[in-house]
Amino acid sequence: MGQALVYWVIALIFIALALRWARRSMGEEKIPLVAVLAAGIFAIQALNIPIPWGTSGHMVGAALAAIVLGSPYAGVFVLTLVLLVQGVIFGDGGITVMGANIINMGVIGGFVGYYGYTAIRSVIGNTYAAAFIAGWASLFVAAILCAVELAIAGTFPLVPALIGLGLYHAIIGLIEGGITAVALYLIASARPDILEHPTGVSA
Amino acid sequence: METKQFVIIGVAIALVIAVAAPFLASGNPDGLESAFFSMYGAKPFMGSELDEDAAGAAEEQVVATTGNDFSYEALMPDYSIPGMDKGGEVLAIVFGTLTILVLGIVVAKISARPDS
Repeated sequence: MGQALVYWVIALIFIALALRWARRSMGEEKIPLVAVLAAGIFAIQALNIPIPWGTSGHMVGAALAAIVLGSPYAGVFVLTLVLLVQGVIFGDGGITVMGANIINMGVIGGFVGYYGYTAIRSVIGNTYAAAFIAGWASLFVAAILCAVELAIAGTFPLVPALIGLGLYHAIIGLIEGGITAVALYLIASARPDILEHPTGVSA
Repeated sequence: METKQFVIIGVAIALVIAVAAPFLASGNPDGLESAFFSMYGAKPFMGSELDEDAAGAAEEQVVATTGNDFSYEALMPDYSIPGMDKGGEVLAIVFGTLTILVLGIVVAKISARPDS
């Protein structure tokens, strides 16, 4: 329980930073995009896609939100809303561990997704390949961190947790990467003007 | 594309996913649950046979390890409405999608950078 509190405190710091980002950089013209992204991410998180080995996986969406809105804090902002509704109304994810979930999915997803995307795009020059790889990495790194947290909590032995969560999420990451790239393409096609960094122009 | 049109199409896509999810979603445990069950011997790592008794025992063991036995009755547990079947799941996910949409607009409006 003490650990859950620590994760909550860290999560609250990032939520405060996300609110500061919104106050400084999220213009009012972004409000519809934020709301639609949050609603779409909630819906697609409910759609578990089967992977091999009697397992399924679903989208997280923080990388997509961060890339589309041009800041890792957008991932924190959107995922916090999604996790709050999932936990409180649907009993999914939980209340005590919500801080850890916000860190793993919102913070790690947003930061790995956003900086992975900008770095990979500047190297390979392809927006959608960069979004795919960054989406994959955001999910994989979040799963690895989750394995470490569960080992610290004493519920999972470390090495089997790293291998188990790592292998499953290396595959689930392909779903994350694929949907991130496709959704980015659709949004860029429909409204190139509202993307923070238009995909045709290197920022 | 106009903003209004963009929002309508975006919400429509979200709602189509929400309605389809209960019918299309895989009932298999997700990556975290699956890793958990296989580590506690309730499911082979690369197989799909889940031993319900072992899975339940594993969950009890984790509650004992962490001392976190906090639980409460959610309004719509596991994206369902108690007493309803698939229709309830559709309603639950549609309700959640619309709730997030409204919450997103309200929270984004409050926290956005003022234009003036």
